[in-house]
Amino acid sequence: MPSETVVTKEISYLDAITRALRDELQDDPSVFVMGQDIAEYGGAFKATRGFLAEFGPHRMVNTPISESGTIGMAVGAAMLGRRPVVEMQFADFISCGFNQVVNVAAKMFWRTGRPVPMVIRCPTGGGAGAGAFHSQCVEAWFLHTPGLKVVAPAWPSDAYALLRAAIRDPNPVLFFEHKHLYRRVKQSAESFEAARREAVIGSARIVRSGEDVTVIAYGWMTHTSLEAAEVVSRDGISVEVVDLRSLAPMDEGLILESIRRTGRAVIVHEACFTGGFGGEIAARIGEKAFEFLDGPIRRIAYPDHPVPYHRGLEAASIPSVERIADVIRDLRRW
Amino acid sequence: MHFFLRLAREWDLRFERLVRLGAVSKWYSSVGNEGVTVAAATAIEAGDALISLHRDSGAILRHYLDAGRLFPDLFPAVSQRRASQVEPRGILYRLACQMLGKANGFSAGRERSYHYSHFDEGAGIIHVGMISHLGAMIPVAAGLALAFKQRGSDRVAVNFVGEGGTSTGDFHEGLNMAAVLRVPFILIIENNGYAFSTPAREQYASQTLAERGAAYGIPGVRVDGCDVVRVHEEVARAVSRARRGEGPTLIEAVVGRMRGHSEGDDSIQLLDAAERQRHERSDPLARFERSLLEVGAATQKYLDDIAKCCAELIVETVDSAMKAPDPVPETPLGGIYAE
Ligand SMILES: Cc1ncc(C[n+]2csc(CCOP(=O)(O)OP(=O)(O)O)c2C)c(N)n1
Ligand SMILES: [Mg+2]
Repeated sequence: MPSETVVTKEISYLDAITRALRDELQDDPSVFVMGQDIAEYGGAFKATRGFLAEFGPHRMVNTPISESGTIGMAVGAAMLGRRPVVEMQFADFISCGFNQVVNVAAKMFWRTGRPVPMVIRCPTGGGAGAGAFHSQCVEAWFLHTPGLKVVAPAWPSDAYALLRAAIRDPNPVLFFEHKHLYRRVKQSAESFEAARREAVIGSARIVRSGEDVTVIAYGWMTHTSLEAAEVVSRDGISVEVVDLRSLAPMDEGLILESIRRTGRAVIVHEACFTGGFGGEIAARIGEKAFEFLDGPIRRIAYPDHPVPYHRGLEAASIPSVERIADVIRDLRRW
Repeated sequence: MHFFLRLAREWDLRFERLVRLGAVSKWYSSVGNEGVTVAAATAIEAGDALISLHRDSGAILRHYLDAGRLFPDLFPAVSQRRASQVEPRGILYRLACQMLGKANGFSAGRERSYHYSHFDEGAGIIHVGMISHLGAMIPVAAGLALAFKQRGSDRVAVNFVGEGGTSTGDFHEGLNMAAVLRVPFILIIENNGYAFSTPAREQYASQTLAERGAAYGIPGVRVDGCDVVRVHEEVARAVSRARRGEGPTLIEAVVGRMRGHSEGDDSIQLLDAAERQRHERSDPLARFERSLLEVGAATQKYLDDIAKCCAELIVETVDSAMKAPDPVPETPLGGIYAE
């Protein structure tokens, strides 16, 4: 029987990640964790606090500061049936292991028929005044690479279910967990229990139903978009919010289905504008649902510059409730 | 060992010829490296992992094939420890198809030459081929070794790299991590003095590459890569250490540059006549054959017979692979994701 932690109190996004890791480590002896400071210290964000005592050093492998070496070793171990879960200390540092991700891990199955069941956990995103190298949303780098799965949950229940699914998946999965949500987003025990069974990699979810405009978002921006939907509802605008959850594969069917009903599309992401995932979604809507559109497809994203250190400067760049609400109102006029 | 040195030589000679005939577009020759690759693969066993590069046909042939099953008349008494379950002509044919991009190759035409993997764990074959990016397979090989260690098995991973590939970041990260985690890993540098056109003195500033071992806290050994007996000794020693749980070893095997970077390019012309002659004289096969004759372990007739058998086998196999079907888009490898 698979382990299922029984939740009795409120559970945060970070708790959900810890629980998913613990349940998988308990269920499957081939699962192990690799990363910097993850063993005794429990990880930079304490996702694996106490795991060393519980699972021992063979399953909690502390590594040197070697992202490429670590990801490459995870690929090798996965090819022999181990299931490594690599923790990037910050998603930004995955650039140091880029070649291992996009050329070794991503292409291995297609090239050789040998599956590479591994997960790379990437604490992602800004909002903490952490500057240009601890705040980035780098998912688009990997969406251009066939062979990877890329997920970005917004809720504890999805973080739990998708991390477990990622660990069980026979493919390399990049798991973008948003730092801003770690301790801010919580679910009651009941709603966590009810929702966590439903998420699978590749499926999006309508987190608010509406008729006039569809807002498509993921990660932190799902929450910001929900707030904006609430704000414009006072102006009588009915907004549907689609939480993508999974970027690769993406749930194109659900996106198009929603657009066909509302006729208006807004795409929101915290990653930079140019070359961001919003462009891909917009293109698909344009190709496959053009005749249903009542107005232009709108994208809201981070401006095309690095993340500034000063909190005020940073906040001015991250898509805000007001900015999203304004775009929705504007689009509604079409 | 001699049989595989000769077999590997004939393999490369055949493909070199096909390049000259225009039947194959590109070939990186392993001629001159067989002393390292055949000896290293002789030192490992069934269930060990081989992670190969572009000049390692000797290791692949040695790891896949059972000489006794190929030529029972020549090797009646040889009881091989491995690969005895593998039908040797069948796998050699697949290998030839792989070199030619044919449907029956290991990657069903998706990947070029040595960029494939072959897993037949029942027969003890765990073979991971390269990607183009030099150095990238070093951490992967160390990861295979980590899996062995986690499983509690005493199997080891053996990986090759050119001296040019040692300048990559993955050489450092992979070897350092292998050392820190004490995984059963042996990294063998095939130092032929050149990377494409770049001489070793423009590649690294230390006297040797073996001395890097000390910096990682592991043994670093330098060996004459044209002396098959010495290479075998050193790799066997490293393998025993790894099996005992004593961690990785770095071996620098110095070989000649008997060919240019790839067949048909002009990189061999960078070597002056004297240097080219010196490299020609370093031929590990000729040297081993001389020593077999000197000590009376073989007669010239025996060596000639082996050469003839090997040449015939290779020509026959490669020629039939040339006629093999080309791949169709729906290959049995599956789509972009594993299910
Ligand atoms: C990361 C990377 N950069 C450049 C190349 C292009 N390249 C292919 S082989 C080669 C030279 C390799 O030299 P070495 O590692 O000494 O191996 P050798 O061919 O001499 O056996 C180069 C530069 C590559 N394959 N990978
Ligand atoms: Mg070289």
